Amino acid sequence: MSIVTDLLAKPGVVAAGEYAYRGDRFSYRGALSEEHARKASIMCRATTMSVNMEASMLEALEPLSGLPPPRGWLVHGPDYSVCVIANVFCLIDNSKGSINDLVGFMRQALAHVPSDMI
Amino acid sequence: MTTLDDLMKLPGAMAAFEFRGGGELLEHRIAYPDRINQSILDLLAHMCAANLSIATMQARGWEKMTGMEGFYPIQEFTLIGFDWSVVVSGLLREQHKQAGKFSLPPLMGVVMANEKADYEAAFAILERKEPVQ
Repeated sequence: MSIVTDLLAKPGVVAAGEYAYRGDRFSYRGALSEEHARKASIMCRATTMSVNMEASMLEALEPLSGLPPPRGWLVHGPDYSVCVIANVFCLIDNSKGSINDLVGFMRQALAHVPSDMI
Repeated sequence: MTTLDDLMKLPGAMAAFEFRGGGELLEHRIAYPDRINQSILDLLAHMCAANLSIATMQARGWEKMTGMEGFYPIQEFTLIGFDWSVVVSGLLREQHKQAGKFSLPPLMGVVMANEKADYEAAFAILERKEPVQ
């Protein structure tokens, strides 16, 4: 099974997908239209690129800080959250799922993904 | 007991800090000065202020574009690093804004070791309602 299929089986996950770091492809499953999923993948990719730039800047100023390479990020809203690890994103309903479980699962499942963003 | 002290009691807490909307570091606590120092916290606070603003803009835009609500206002932004994660929130600030206050409290954040990080517990402390003076 792919990670996206695994994620959709987790409680509270509304949609999940993957995007190419170079921005030319994405795929998804779940309760989003194709156009909304495309926009979600663009926003997730932009933020991932941004936090990687920030982490490399921190590394230049303070080597071995423990931040780089960043594994991902998470935005927690009142009802929904967006969790991104490597190039995989998912939308979760806060009332039905556990952020701790989701981040733990994604970190473990994607631990082998190289951090060079290719 | 301040919120910063409560954040420092979280499992794996390495540092807790307050910062302005522009990213300037204010009061802070550091548990392991050999791993997280003031210089790292200073840049981290600026990074987190920027990311929180961008996430807020994206949540606002996403809700308008899709009609899906429940993303805005952003409660917390979390950056998951290789060894540690940082969770920041401007929710208390948002509560003061909604109460019509001009003097706003600082934003707050906590750095936690990934292996022990309890994100939901950090959210609960950062989302704690305090009386608006």
